[in-house]
Order: sequence, then C-alpha cells, then structure tokens
Amino acid sequence: MPVMPRRKRKQFYVRRKVCRFCVDSGLAIDYKDINTLRQFVTERGKIIPRRISGNCARHQRRVTRAIKQARLLALIPYVPAQPPA
Amino acid sequence: MKRYESVWVVNGDLPDEEVKAVSDKFSRIISSHGGMVVGLEEWGRRKLAFKVKGTIRGFYVLADFAGVPGTIKELERNYRIDDRIIRYQTLKKSDKVNLEALQEEIAARAKKAAPAPEPEAAPPGEEAVSLPEEAAAQEIPAEAPPSQGKED
Repeated sequence: MPVMPRRKRKQFYVRRKVCRFCVDSGLAIDYKDINTLRQFVTERGKIIPRRISGNCARHQRRVTRAIKQARLLALIPYVPAQPPA
Repeated sequence: MKRYESVWVVNGDLPDEEVKAVSDKFSRIISSHGGMVVGLEEWGRRKLAFKVKGTIRGFYVLADFAGVPGTIKELERNYRIDDRIIRYQTLKKSDKVNLEALQEEIAARAKKAAPAPEPEAAPPGEEAVSLPEEAAAQEIPAEAPPSQGKED
C-alpha cells in the first residue's frame, strides 16, 4: 500500500501545450505587431523558450526572428530601462 | 522586381517639416533607382524602447515598394549618410512582383489617399488611374531606370 501513493505522485499531469500559431492560422507573426511579440518575451526582455511558450519549432523560429527585428528598430527593448522589481 | 518593405526611424526631436522632407527624399530615391513606391505608412512619433543616437523619440515610416537590388543598395547607402535617420530596416516581402497587380494596388492606394493627397503618392497614382491599361503596358518593359526617368 505505501507504494501506490508514491507512484501516483510520480505520474503528474502534463498538459500538452499546442502552438497557438498552428491552431489559429489567422495569427501572423510580424515584427510590427509588438503586442503579440511582447507575449513571448519575459519582463526582462528575454525570449521565452519553446518549452514554456509551447510554440512549435517552426513558429518559434519566426517569433524569435520577429523579436530580433523589432529590437533593432527599438520597438521593443533588448533590456528594459528599469526592470520591474 | 521584388517586393520590399523598409522602415526608417527619423529622429523624433526634429520638426514635422524635416520628417516630411525625409519621407520625400527617400521615396524619391526609391522611384529614381528602379523602384516603385506602393505606399508610405507613417506610424508617427513613438517612444523608442531605448536611447538611439541620444534621443528617446522617433518618427517611424514604413515604405512598401517594389524594386531591384540596386534600389536597396542606394536606399540603404543614403540611410547611412543621412544623420536624421536613426534606425532602418529593409525586408524582402516576396521574390516576384506582378506588375499589373502592382499598378492596381498603387491606384487603389492613391484613390484611398485622394481626400488627403500625399505628394509622393500622387504622380504614379494619377497615371495609373487615368490610363490603367496603357500604364501597365508601358510598365512591363519599363523595369530599367532610364524609362522610369522618362515617365517623371
């Protein structure tokens, strides 16, 4: 009996994240769309990894590229001036 | 010809006339080096995400145009020379351009902009509106800069 609960604890539930760009083909990835891009950077301005954002490889690459393009034009920061505490 | 879009950021501390002059200058550079401007989109003055060349404000302009590699080369060379430009980025949108569709698009844009006429959009727009077939026919061999100049 003591074995059962331990096993149960081990198999925790992982919700499979799906790439939201794959789900909704109407969503475009564009360096001009800052509000969407902001969802994929941390407060520190870092790009959120695929493992966390749930993007597929293809769309993650595009998001990454768009973020970098937006940074170059000073649309989004490389590093926020005053990071939120 | 390929379809490009180019964003340039003008120093936001400059007066409006200066910003306008920059837009005119660069759209002229595009059209005089084998390109065709489809439209300019002004995003207006925005706060930059960080300081660039000592300023925190920038005036963004997006140019949608078709051109040849030489167009881009000349455009970017001038971006680098002009002190008023603090950032720029040119991206290729597509490799092939249908000239007739392009003419139509320019005409449509010009029509939309008619109530508030834009000087740089007017010359190609007028032509396309008044004689669409003829203009399209002329444009097909007119990819080279010399014939572009003749139109002007």
